[in-house]
Amino acid sequence: MGEDTPILQIKGVTKQFGKLLAVNNVSLDIVDGEFFTIVGPSGSGKTTLLRMLAGLEKPTGGDILLRGNRVNDVSANKRPTCMVFQSLALFNHRTVGQNIEFSQKMKGVPRAERRERAMELMKIVRLPEDYYAKSVTKCSGGERQRVALARALASDPDIMFFDEPLSAIDYQLRKHLEVELKDLHRETGKTFMYITHSLEEAMVMSDRIGIMQAGHLIQVGTPDEIYTQPLNKFVSEFMGEVNTLAVRRSADGKYDCAELSMQLAAPASTDSSETGYLVVRPESMRFLNDPSEADNHVKGSLFNEYGMGSRVQYHVRVGDTMLVVEKLREQAYQGNIDDDVIIGWNVKDSVLVGD
Amino acid sequence: MEDRKKRWVHSLIGVWTGVVLLFFFLPIAAVIVSSLSKSRYFRFPMKEWSFKWYDETINANLTENLHLTSVYVAGCVALIALVLGFFGALAFARYDWKGRIFYQRLIMLPIFFPQAVLGLALLLWFTYIGVLPTWEAAVFAHLVWIAPIVTLVISIQVYGFDVSQEEAAYDLGANRWQVFWEVTLPALAPGLFSGGLFAFLLSWGNFSLSTYTTGADSTVTEWLYTKMSSGYTPMIPTMGAFSVYGSVIILFAGYIFLIAHRRRAAKRL
Amino acid sequence: MATTIDKMSPPPLLPQPTALQSFGLWLRQPGFLTATPILIFFLAGFVGPLVIVLGFSFLPERTFGFHGEWTVENYVHILTESYYISFLWSFGLAAATVACCLLISYPVSYGLAKVFGRWAAPIMLLLVIPLFVSENVRLFGWYILLLKGGGIFAGTAKELFGLETGTLLYSNGTTLLGMVYVYLPYTLFPTTLGLSLVPKDQVDAAGDLGANRFQIFREIELPVAMPGILIGSLLTFVLAVGAISEAKVLGGANIVVISHAIQHEFTYAQNWPLGSAISMFAILITGTLVIYVMRRLDLDRLLGRR
Repeated sequence: MGEDTPILQIKGVTKQFGKLLAVNNVSLDIVDGEFFTIVGPSGSGKTTLLRMLAGLEKPTGGDILLRGNRVNDVSANKRPTCMVFQSLALFNHRTVGQNIEFSQKMKGVPRAERRERAMELMKIVRLPEDYYAKSVTKCSGGERQRVALARALASDPDIMFFDEPLSAIDYQLRKHLEVELKDLHRETGKTFMYITHSLEEAMVMSDRIGIMQAGHLIQVGTPDEIYTQPLNKFVSEFMGEVNTLAVRRSADGKYDCAELSMQLAAPASTDSSETGYLVVRPESMRFLNDPSEADNHVKGSLFNEYGMGSRVQYHVRVGDTMLVVEKLREQAYQGNIDDDVIIGWNVKDSVLVGD
Repeated sequence: MEDRKKRWVHSLIGVWTGVVLLFFFLPIAAVIVSSLSKSRYFRFPMKEWSFKWYDETINANLTENLHLTSVYVAGCVALIALVLGFFGALAFARYDWKGRIFYQRLIMLPIFFPQAVLGLALLLWFTYIGVLPTWEAAVFAHLVWIAPIVTLVISIQVYGFDVSQEEAAYDLGANRWQVFWEVTLPALAPGLFSGGLFAFLLSWGNFSLSTYTTGADSTVTEWLYTKMSSGYTPMIPTMGAFSVYGSVIILFAGYIFLIAHRRRAAKRL
Repeated sequence: MATTIDKMSPPPLLPQPTALQSFGLWLRQPGFLTATPILIFFLAGFVGPLVIVLGFSFLPERTFGFHGEWTVENYVHILTESYYISFLWSFGLAAATVACCLLISYPVSYGLAKVFGRWAAPIMLLLVIPLFVSENVRLFGWYILLLKGGGIFAGTAKELFGLETGTLLYSNGTTLLGMVYVYLPYTLFPTTLGLSLVPKDQVDAAGDLGANRFQIFREIELPVAMPGILIGSLLTFVLAVGAISEAKVLGGANIVVISHAIQHEFTYAQNWPLGSAISMFAILITGTLVIYVMRRLDLDRLLGRR
């Protein structure tokens, strides 16, 4: 990363459609050269926000500053930014080369120069040279992605925007492209702003992540911070399977958990609310031989186990609740289904969150 | 078992389609065959074959006039229908706007309309507003039902058009006009081409509307009808044959043009 | 450091536009603007003439202008005279045409949509070609085929089998043949479109769940293809009602369809008001049918919106 100069400043940006507030008072600074991902479920406003940054929509309130200049009224074709669309939006009636060269053609760059630059970019995105004259309709999904990338890079933007470009691709290819995107980011050194609904995807590629819900930006931080210190239930559950236990503060610094019918020890809480959620990630749960091995323990029975490549996931039934435990394959539980088990975790491996 | 039965049904369908195709082309073949007869009256099997009547027909002044009129009308209809249909299709399929569904149904109405009644209504209308029936009036009449058809044809192409291509082009630095010229128009070109071809051919072959609105001018179709209603003359089949040749040539020329254009576009770097 | 943004204070909502402003905005929508050219043409070329016909239908007979006299005598005339025969002929013939066209084209449509695969496109091209040859030419072809004595069928029969056939022309059957011939494509193509909408996996699933061929047809194919079939039938019917040439060329003086009756009033009889009134009847009946069917159709889905 370069110096910590914000290349993009988003100040109190709002977008209203009729009576609906799609984006509600979002403020954020993007650092030059970082890979920033906005994550949120559909309808959270992330696409609208990105489109406003790209210039395809106009904010109804707030300011957007690019390198210190207010760009609210600058149209998309005049902004030094470029977007890779969800559907890729390749020009189907043109060849790979014509697609890549488009932005240069608009600027009036002569043919030979355009071709040279296109060839360079094709090399960077790892497209074979002879694809130059190939029609884009004959390219595979992964190849089309690369054409879209090269096309956007050709316009030499200050910031590259990505609107969920990988969501329609199958798992294998997607994992591969995630890695390639991160490498591309490193090679080009440009600022990347990415949207996705999958926190997992964001974790792979991003320097920082912002979580949006219902038009609000709820939490911003590095992948590690989001993972270990979620600010609320929504953020913590976004990760996929976690154990979320509703608790109520009790007298002696402990917490009552109704669903487990017991008291639990929890980390110190900074706010004064009476209720909250105790979040324990599956990999922090352990099978105990003796209750004293951990700060908290519960008794239950093993309901089922699920192999997940290098890890194994266990569902343990405790009363009416199901708790999730995850272990590396080498440390797999050695018993059988329907066994009575004791599982537990340490206070330092849990987080107390609000609503 | 199921498979064998299925294949049997499929071959039946194939045979049936063959019969229908034969049925379609039989009268056309009949026209062409009869145009080659030498005698003044029609008799089958034909005793003598010749191109005599082709000669007579080509040389008659009448033929040139008729064909020119038909061509003028069809040409104008095609051009105007393309313009009306292009914008109409954008409203039909591309933009989401309040009233779109109502507009869709409204525009389709002239298609579902008895043409003879439409022709007469237009004649009445022209008389009322003081317009003389001429070939130009026929262009207007044809457009009433052809423009909606062209709108439909182009709309089909528009439905398949990914609108974000336009946004992407804009984002890459194109101004509004460049977006239209470099992205929208080329992407919709196939639909425009088939729409124009359709319009030309539908107008070329139309009778019901022409008959009421051309007035003193006459198209090939009108001439055929008048002559046919009063019995047989050998020029009828020859004119008819010419009409067939014309349609086939135009269709194939269009098809070849389309293929050649695709090849050229692929070669262009 | 993890940061959080205060989400407690939303900014005040912008004011909503007034009714007049909303209307202005509606006019300026790109959708409406692009619709304008064809809408204007629609008004001038379709609505205008219809209004005039409506107006004329209330004029006294054999008048040619609006001079302030209005009457319903034309309508009374139609209802009391034997015009209903022509109407019955037209609508009956049209209905018969639709029925025959549906029966003939369904297997072909099915083939095009489901069976022929990559041969579907060339076959469709072949089927389309006759559409572009004028119907008069094609009808003339039938005339030659069916002519007494010297016609192609008659001549062949005589040469090969020594049979003398009477004329096949000038009968109701022949007229129907001509109509079916001319209007078959108008049934065929929409039906093909409708059938192409039937998803193969639903058909497979139904079979898997125990349905036999007829049940699959009734429960899945027919409902899904119905919009296409409806449009095809409607189009064929309405166009057949307005047919002129078939009856004249192949049916002779036997059959007087509505279009002839109307034409007669406008030309020989010079009775425009009566002609207009007959037209209004035809328009009202076909119009009601069309509106009824159209309201049930989802054109976007039929034409391929994703």
